[in-house]
Order: sequence, then structure tokens, then C-alpha cells
Amino acid sequence: MEEQEILSQVVAIFKEELDNEEIELTMESTAKEVEDWDSLSHIHLMVAIEKHFKIRFTSTEISSFKNVGEMVETVKKRLG
Amino acid sequence: MGFIIEEIIEKIGLKNPEHAAKLSKNLAGLEAEIYPASESFFQKYYAYLEKEGKTIDFGIDCYLHMCDDMLIQRHKFIETGKYTSTSFDEVEKRVYGNEAIMTYHMHGLVLGQFLWFEQFERFKFFKENLIKYFPSQGKYLEIGGGHGLYMLGALELLPTDTVFDLVDISQSSINLAKGVIDNSKVNYTLKNVFDISDEDKYDFFTMGEVLEHLEDPIAILKKLANLIGKTGKGYITTPINSPMIDHIYLFNNETDIREVFDKAGLSILTEKIVISEHISPKLANKFKVPIMYAAFVEQKK
Ligand SMILES: C[S@@+](CC[C@H](N)C(=O)[O-])C[C@H]1O[C@@H](n2cnc3c(N)ncnc32)[C@H](O)[C@@H]1O
Repeated sequence: MEEQEILSQVVAIFKEELDNEEIELTMESTAKEVEDWDSLSHIHLMVAIEKHFKIRFTSTEISSFKNVGEMVETVKKRLG
Repeated sequence: MGFIIEEIIEKIGLKNPEHAAKLSKNLAGLEAEIYPASESFFQKYYAYLEKEGKTIDFGIDCYLHMCDDMLIQRHKFIETGKYTSTSFDEVEKRVYGNEAIMTYHMHGLVLGQFLWFEQFERFKFFKENLIKYFPSQGKYLEIGGGHGLYMLGALELLPTDTVFDLVDISQSSINLAKGVIDNSKVNYTLKNVFDISDEDKYDFFTMGEVLEHLEDPIAILKKLANLIGKTGKGYITTPINSPMIDHIYLFNNETDIREVFDKAGLSILTEKIVISEHISPKLANKFKVPIMYAAFVEQKK
């Protein structure tokens, strides 16, 4: 799957999980810039992404993604 | 000169800036109350560390190690909706009986008592109400005394001729509690709460953050209801949605806890519930954020 395709699916997951249709993400987006994306919702969002793509992140990855791009790259790598 | 807790947060910031920022954000507006209230406990903790040839850097490493564990546990919890362990024997072998793990885990919790505002609220609620429910003379028991903070609170508030007993299943916890409390009035016993004799009688028991470590909390609470008889009282706290390396019994909400009390023959005198982040109950429920639950109880009439 291409990065842009992964990104658009990730956006849909964020909208659903955070209950907010306004969310827009780019590869550079960070948690600070997205309303309600904080340490509480973070693990929730990551688990929703794992379930959607049927992959697993390690807990270290979950705590160290610096932006959406790093996460999308990891999803891409896992999907192979 | 600042407060010790400020130094602790500053040092956490050198090792994990995001975590320190989060702590500061959560404590914002509460500093004037929490910082002075934490000072004497942290002074005792510093003195203990010094006696052990350690510094606060050791405590901070333990704390951050515990936070890493919590993240791993939380990840699994959100995935499965369950705590990772359901067996007391397994946790006893892996955690309580393992000095290295138990040591960093308990030192981590020491810092959490004041770095986490819901933990501070738990202690404050205890101190505000203990005297009300303790007779003018009597026997006091703490189960799972851990870091010693609650026993120190009881020693400060209760009459000097009170009998103070502390039991804990882990030798490392007893060592830590003994070292921090540093008071010869307290009797320490290495014991599983399950092995408390039905003949034992106390006027008051405190059991903070132990219920979630048990396979059958109702059985233990029945034992404690018997221990205090018709006139005694107890203080129990247990978290909701709080995955940790040694938690096995999951309470999904406060109703689950109240039901367990009821089935054990205990009634609630007063209770306090605090969400561990500054968010609404609806969001806390959605994201399964840990919630602090505390209550004073007595035998049902
Ligand atoms: C999370 S700490 C709680 C410390 C403190 N009571 C508080 O409220 O913050 C749990 C403590 O209970 C002890 N513990 C766990 N299971 C126990 C059991 N079955 N009997 C006695 N102590 C137990 C542990 O060794 C540890 O010291």
C-alpha cells in the first residue's frame, strides 16, 4: 500500500476515534497540533490503527513516533 | 530553596522531557497545595535513600522504568480489554518474590504518590477522614503498606497509644516501608492478607491499592469485615481501568467496586472518585483512563 493511501485511512481512523470530522493530517502532523490527540487517546488511536491494518506496533514504537509520517512508514513496512 | 518535588520534576525532565511536561501540565494550579504537602514525605524518602547509599537519581530511574511498564501494560489492555495476568501465583513469583522488579516498582510508586494528583487526592481524603472513624484508643492495621506513606499519615494523626501493625506480602516492600517510616512503634509482618487469622481483631484497617492484586477480592473483604467486627471501620482504595504489571482483578467502573463491597457485607460511609487526567467522565470511559476510587467502610448493619 502506498503512503498516501495509508495516510488517508489513518485520517479516517482519527476522525472516527476522536469523534471529529474536521481532523486533517499530513505526514508532518504531530500530536501537539491535533485537538484531543494527547497521551490519553494516543494508545487508543495506535491500537485502532493496529486493528485496522492487522499489524502490531511495539510499545517502544508507540511511545516514540515523532509524527504521523513515522507511523505511516512503520505501517507500510509491516504491510511489506 | 524550592521543594524537593520540584527538583524531582526537573530531574525527570532531563531524562524524559515529554513526561515531565505532562506532569507539570497535570499539576498546574495544584502546586501550592501539593508541593508543601509532599515535602516531609520526600525528606524521609531522601534520608532513606541516603542511608542506602543511593540518591534521588535512583528513585527517578525506578519511576521512569515503572512508567515504561505502564505503557506496555496499557497497550495490551487497550488491545484486549483485560489485564495481562489473572493468576495471583504467577504475579507472586514474577513480581512480589522478585527483589529487583519489586524494588524499582515500589520506588516508582513512591514518586507517584505526589507526582500524580489523583494519588495526592487519595491521601488527602484519607487524612481528612481517618480521625472521624477511629476510636479514642485502638488497634490499627495496614495491609500492603508498600512505600509507608499511609502509615506515616496514621502515625501523625492517631493517638500515641494506638497499636500500629503493617503486613505486606513482599520483603522489599517491608524494607522500604520500614526505612521510610523509621519509627519503632510500628510492627511489621511479612504476610499475605489471605493468611490473616480469623481470630485477629482491629478497630481500623487501611488497605490501599491491594484489592486489584487479588483473585478473589470478595473473600478478602469478608475476612476484613470480620476483622473489624460491628464497630470497626476500614479505608479501601482500588483503581478502575489501571493496568500494571501486578494487577489481576479489573474493575471497569465504580459500580463494580461497590458491588464487591456489598457482596462482602461492607457498606460505604463516604467515598471519593478522581479521574487521573483532567478530562470528563465520558472521555475517561471512552479512553479507559485510570480512575482513583477510595472509600471508608464498615460492616453492613
Ligand atoms: C500498589 S502497592 C500499594 C501501596 C500503598 N498501600 C498505597 O496505597 O499506595 C501494593 C502493596 O501491596 C502488597 N501486596 C500485594 N498483594 C498482597 C497480599 N496478597 N497480601 C499482602 N500484601 C500484598 C505489595 O507487596 C505492595 O507493597
